[in-house]
Amino acid sequence: MDNLFSIFIMMALVNNFVLAKFLGLCPFFGVSKKLSSAVSMGLAVILVMLATSVVSWLLFYQLLVPFGITYMRTAIFILVIASLVQILEITIRRTNVNLYNALGIYLPLITTNCAVLGVTFINVDQAFNLAETVVSALGAGVGFTLVLAIMSGIRERLDLADVPKAFKGIPVAFLVAMILGIAFLAFGGMV
Amino acid sequence: MDNTVLIIVSLTLVGMVCGIAIFLVNRFLPEEDKLLKKTEEISKFLPGMNCGACGHPGCFAYAGEIAKDIDILRTGPCMVLMNDDKKVKALGNALGVDLSSGDKKVAVVHCGGNSEILYDYKGIDTCKAAAQLSSGFKKCPYGCFGFGDCVNVCPENAISIDPEKKIVVIDPDKCIGCGLCTKECPQNLIEIIPAKMPQYLACNYLSKKNIPGRERCSLGCIHCRICVKASEKEEVTWNEKKDLPFFDPEKCAPSPAAIEKCPRKVIFKRDFENGTSENRK
Repeated sequence: MDNLFSIFIMMALVNNFVLAKFLGLCPFFGVSKKLSSAVSMGLAVILVMLATSVVSWLLFYQLLVPFGITYMRTAIFILVIASLVQILEITIRRTNVNLYNALGIYLPLITTNCAVLGVTFINVDQAFNLAETVVSALGAGVGFTLVLAIMSGIRERLDLADVPKAFKGIPVAFLVAMILGIAFLAFGGMV
Repeated sequence: MDNTVLIIVSLTLVGMVCGIAIFLVNRFLPEEDKLLKKTEEISKFLPGMNCGACGHPGCFAYAGEIAKDIDILRTGPCMVLMNDDKKVKALGNALGVDLSSGDKKVAVVHCGGNSEILYDYKGIDTCKAAAQLSSGFKKCPYGCFGFGDCVNVCPENAISIDPEKKIVVIDPDKCIGCGLCTKECPQNLIEIIPAKMPQYLACNYLSKKNIPGRERCSLGCIHCRICVKASEKEEVTWNEKKDLPFFDPEKCAPSPAAIEKCPRKVIFKRDFENGTSENRK
């Protein structure tokens, strides 16, 4: 239990995907203008990360390891992620329209998100078992959502702030990201 | 050799399983929400350039509103769609509703551009900036400045600037009647009228209490109402609010007598054969 909790903290805060591992940077700047859309994007990422982590873990240990072709994992994982996102999109669209409207455009966008591929690789590299994999995927998703939500909250305020003209928009967002990264550095050494 | 076969087999296997899974999901899940399906069907008929003239964030959002309530098409119509009779009919067929096809509409500029220059304007060359400086640099405070704020917003490049008169000219063949230019003009000179309207007033001189139009512009309306008296079947009436003649868009009746009698020759005949309006001098 202790182990699972420390994995969660590690993935969500210490090795945060955006600020420590530099994965998923395009949604970090692209979808962090509004709090509501940032949270929608984060939820979609959590959902996809959970599903792909489990399936790719199963495939890795049931198919790739026994046949000794672990170097094929990149191709196989990408294939799995792409089709899983497709299936998820169709399922949500047919069964829950409100959720579909809330996630909107972000669900198909995640197909090409490096953070999702990254979490599957980390799970395999760290030799996690299935329970640890689920927790680490959840932690990675929650960490991603947390940073996106913090960033969008700050950027909503920044629109009203008196920023020098040359820094308006993306430049000041980069500066904020830097300060946020330093803040998250304080979590280092916790686990 | 052995490895190559394994790679091919494993990739094919995973690919096949994924493909079959998507097929199964597609085949056996319940039909998607009717509203969503209808929205997607309607959005196929919309122009898809997201101009926003209908007041919705984009064509897909507008389609969603139509799917909820078909009356939106009449109360807040998409001017681009309504101009294309074939598309309107096709949409009516697809929805099983009879949509009486709206007539094609075009924009006209209510200015003849004959006003003299009051002072030499050397500011920012947009109409909005020019309008800020003591009602503009022309003697007529209601006229077209000709900097072309409307030219920049036109999605079809239907508006050009007349090099002689320095006013904007709208090509009725290219105009799709979206109405974006009407919102852009600081002088409110552009109006959307039915394309078969035979004439229009090339003046927007509103005020009757101040100096009459005749002293400001050789084409200014002097509010004499001769056109109303000359009209035989009340095709020209008087707009009391604006104090200008009013051509009923419902009737679209030609009034050659009014054009003839107008002492300022400010009622322009619209020539739809060539699609241009002609100044009758």
